[in-house]
Amino acid sequence: MQELVDVITTSMQSGDGVESLIAKADAPPDELNEYVNIIQALQTSLVPQEPSADFSDRLRADLLDRDAGLPSRFRQMPARVQVAAVLAIFFGCVLFVLRRIFGSEPPGEIQEEAVVTPL
Amino acid sequence: MRNPFAKRVDYQALDERELVALAKDDMEAFGELYERFMQKIYSYIYYRTGNAHDAEDLTAKVFFRALSHIGAYVDKGAPFQAWLYRIAHNLVANWHRDQGRRKIIALDDYVAHSLKSDAPDRLTEEREEQDQLMQALRRLPDDRQQLILLKFVEQMSNAEIGEIMGRTEGAIKSLYHRTLLALREEMEIDLTSDRNRRLDGSEG
Repeated sequence: MQELVDVITTSMQSGDGVESLIAKADAPPDELNEYVNIIQALQTSLVPQEPSADFSDRLRADLLDRDAGLPSRFRQMPARVQVAAVLAIFFGCVLFVLRRIFGSEPPGEIQEEAVVTPL
Repeated sequence: MRNPFAKRVDYQALDERELVALAKDDMEAFGELYERFMQKIYSYIYYRTGNAHDAEDLTAKVFFRALSHIGAYVDKGAPFQAWLYRIAHNLVANWHRDQGRRKIIALDDYVAHSLKSDAPDRLTEEREEQDQLMQALRRLPDDRQQLILLKFVEQMSNAEIGEIMGRTEGAIKSLYHRTLLALREEMEIDLTSDRNRRLDGSEG
């Protein structure tokens, strides 16, 4: 019976008639018609639901904003900003390296003075 | 000016597997997954909770949870939506436990476009029948409700339902048959109690 009920359901869902299936089946037609009625009622009642466009858009924005990592944020930036950011990082690194190589230590006297100055 | 760093990917053209792999560290890919599955998940949760407000709240939780766990997602061959439905199913189960109640589905929101008749009398009758059916459906165990919703709302095959519910196709067929029998019994109980109530009313 479970096979037959499954075939009837599939047939109804694809919009085909079930009369021939019921006529050919070994099971009593009254019993099968009861199944058909329930399946029909479920088909009529259970239709897909859609959320409001407002909710859908808001949730999408919340999800994408929340977890936007550095690479994806970078990709979304305008090209000029990206070029500027790359140049800034590059020259920043160059400056850092140069300061490490040729950088000057702060004078010792000033350091000592800073330590002993009362607040 | 052409953006030399921009990664041009046609997300809509990607299949589910490629999209899921990308979505682990690409938000646009996750956004495309959201577009593909959000409405289905919402629809499922709507019928399980019975109202739009909680459906929206839980749908948001499903996708935030998916976003925070997608990095650990392992493709075992099942469709991605099976994973999303499992998250939704667990959240709905928690919601029912927390609420400690089972709401009756809000038919008002969708009955208008699913009823067939224009005649007021027939319309009322159809509405009562649908109401009765939904109440009977909501008295069934969780797994049976899930099966009916996936089969009728999402029009999924037994194999697809099996992947989501972690059962074989044969087990789904069998459960479906038992669910229809249970639904018929529930509706008969409703009819009998309705008849008794009417008789009591007419005698009183």
